[in-house]
Amino acid sequence: MNNYGLVLAILGAILAALLPGIGSARGVGMVGEAAGGVISEDPSKFSKLLILQLLPGTQGLYGLLTAVLELSQIGILGGDPVELSLARGLMYLIACMPIAVVGYFSAIIQARTAVTGVGIVAKKPDQNGKAITMSAMVETYAILALLVSILAMNSLK
Amino acid sequence: MAKLLMQRIEIIALLNDRKKILEHLQLLGVVEFSDVQNEAFVKVNTSSYISQYEKCINTATAAKDILNKYAPIKKSLLASLNGRREIGVGEFLDNVDKRDFFLQNCYDLISYERVINENRAAIVRTQTLMDALKIWLNLDIPMNFKGTKYTQCFIGVVPNQRTVSDILEAIARVNPKLEMIEIDIISSSKEQNCIAVVCHKSVADETNEALRQIGFVVPSESYEQIPAEKMQQYEKDIEKYKNEIEENIKKIKASADLINEVEFLIDYFSIRKEKYQALSKVGLTKNTFIIRGYIPEKYAKKCVDELESKYTVAISITTPEEDEDVPVLLENGDFVSPVEPITEMFALPAKKDIDPSAVMAFFYYLFFGLMLSDAGYGVLMVIGTAIALKKFSIEGPLRKTLKMFFYSGISTVFWGAMFGSWFGDIVPIIYKQFLHAEPPNIALWFEPITDPMKLLLFSFGLGIIHLFVGQAVSFKMTWDEGKKIDAVLDTVPTYLFVLGVAPLAAGILISVPETLSTVGKYLALIGLALIILTSGRKSKNIFARFGGGIYGLYNIASGYLSDILSYSRLLALGLATGSIAGVINLMGTMPTDPAAKAVLLVVVFLIGHPLNMAINLLGAYVHTNRLQFVEFFSKFYEGGGRAFSPLKADTKYIKIKEN
Repeated sequence: MNNYGLVLAILGAILAALLPGIGSARGVGMVGEAAGGVISEDPSKFSKLLILQLLPGTQGLYGLLTAVLELSQIGILGGDPVELSLARGLMYLIACMPIAVVGYFSAIIQARTAVTGVGIVAKKPDQNGKAITMSAMVETYAILALLVSILAMNSLK
Repeated sequence: MAKLLMQRIEIIALLNDRKKILEHLQLLGVVEFSDVQNEAFVKVNTSSYISQYEKCINTATAAKDILNKYAPIKKSLLASLNGRREIGVGEFLDNVDKRDFFLQNCYDLISYERVINENRAAIVRTQTLMDALKIWLNLDIPMNFKGTKYTQCFIGVVPNQRTVSDILEAIARVNPKLEMIEIDIISSSKEQNCIAVVCHKSVADETNEALRQIGFVVPSESYEQIPAEKMQQYEKDIEKYKNEIEENIKKIKASADLINEVEFLIDYFSIRKEKYQALSKVGLTKNTFIIRGYIPEKYAKKCVDELESKYTVAISITTPEEDEDVPVLLENGDFVSPVEPITEMFALPAKKDIDPSAVMAFFYYLFFGLMLSDAGYGVLMVIGTAIALKKFSIEGPLRKTLKMFFYSGISTVFWGAMFGSWFGDIVPIIYKQFLHAEPPNIALWFEPITDPMKLLLFSFGLGIIHLFVGQAVSFKMTWDEGKKIDAVLDTVPTYLFVLGVAPLAAGILISVPETLSTVGKYLALIGLALIILTSGRKSKNIFARFGGGIYGLYNIASGYLSDILSYSRLLALGLATGSIAGVINLMGTMPTDPAAKAVLLVVVFLIGHPLNMAINLLGAYVHTNRLQFVEFFSKFYEGGGRAFSPLKADTKYIKIKEN
């Protein structure tokens, strides 16, 4: 019974890795589908489109980062789990929520922006910088969420 | 420096010198042609020439594609960075004389490929015919066999799978009187039976009618040969097609060394096309012609001198009018020019803008390094770009971009060393896991993961400096325009307010010395008052003024708040690099056996770190751009200038070397 805190904390870490991971996978897939159509016409645009495709992939990394930070903080990664009260475990779970939720949605929305970017690259390949920048705007909010998650986690140490 | 000063140029010369002067200008590559619009001048319509050159370019490009497809020259990825091939003027002129011969070679290549494609289609067609013929292979008489003296023969298919007696039964049901019929099943499948029916001539019509009623169909293809023979003939045909394809591929492969000629043609006709496009903008009279356009001031004298010494020309250089659409060309020193492509990606400076590259360069490298912040990755960047720049003759924007990564790499090494991150935490790990010693503190400043708050505040601090510099540029621009009061009132209250609020806000996160927060409080209050009093100065009405002041305060406060918070990405991306690198190293140390640990660590290191570096390079690049474009440029920069595009020999593959 007294290990529920740890369970909640691990649940948080898993959600942080899971949701943005799924979001990023969907996002990268969406952009990849759009990019595939362009590449079938003009394979030379591959490198430009690859960058666009990668953009929604970072949320998954942020989720992974949060999960690893947390798992090492609560000792799961070191092989020596700390005692966690129910309340502290819940706090860990809540601390994971910003990147878990924002990561998931921002990855998909960023992917949509990147898909329109694929259209830009298809028609005007020299304007790909603008396509990248517009898509990167969305990522700001994933970064902010990551920051809140890390700071919250850090204060729980 | 920065934005080159542009001047108008007008060249009037004799019509006879037209071609020579245009070619000379093309070689200089410093004059952008404007369209001469005046009824007094005649224009040449060069569109037929241009489309003819385009056709030649397309032919050569098609030939190049064919060569790349069938006889690719293996080049390493790095070698493809090499710039254009240099050829001397003599060789160039020789090649010009041989251009028709070259072009004929291109046509040959294209015809070889056409033969290949036709034969490929023929193979597919024949294979379809072979598939259709397969079901008739058991037939030992020709497909179009009609019968003998006393018999009639029908060859065809009936639907559904049936036996001979099934078919005879069906016929009997349709026409009970019909006799003297012999049916052979050639092949049968679920959908259809191929049959040969032989009957006495006297009942041929009835048989035909009865067969029709049970669904008998004569196949559309019919031959005079026996199917097996026909099959052999098809196989021979395919063999022949394949041989022809081989032969033509061999011919193309034998012409692999034509690639230089083909590339020459593409460039040569591109140069001609450019020239004729420029020619269409030139105005003509009976004996003279006139060129109008723009030239950067620093090249003007050389251009005028050269033309005047060789031809009979009258050239006037004038300063453009205020409202003219003057093209923009950037020129900066070695430290600043690498970020020019970044500026161009956003937008070239408009008429009233300054070139932001100069103020941006330092911050660009600084932020890039702070976001990547791993000395190991930085060293790789510096070495990689330095080798590429030294070893290969890279030109144009790619050279600038590589230099940008070179300087950013240096900055990355600096910040990585400050934070003690060399390929993540590989140094402490080696100490702990293999030397069993307490790792030394290699961070010159501190490790961000131990005190992220400190780095967060540091990032905000850098952000404030960055934004203030942007505001200062705006101050200078407004001041130079003569609006000195506006310059001061737009800048000073904001500075005071932000500087005052900063220590108060920092107090939420860390403890700030008493004096600092007291000073901050008063600064903030003074700034606040000034903003409310002055922001609405444009309106006459006292209430509107006050309203404008409040609105201005809201804009400045919310704008600066969101802008400064945006710099938290410096911390977040920096942490991401280090932490993921740490995870990679951690994976390598999973086994307990030291030998296994060492092996796994090396493997994971070699796979994981390049991946992490690539993804974080992308992140650092994208978000450094964003901080410049959104936070920094919004303070002073508008953009929207038109790029200077002079008439020049715009070649892709060859560079003409002057002797």
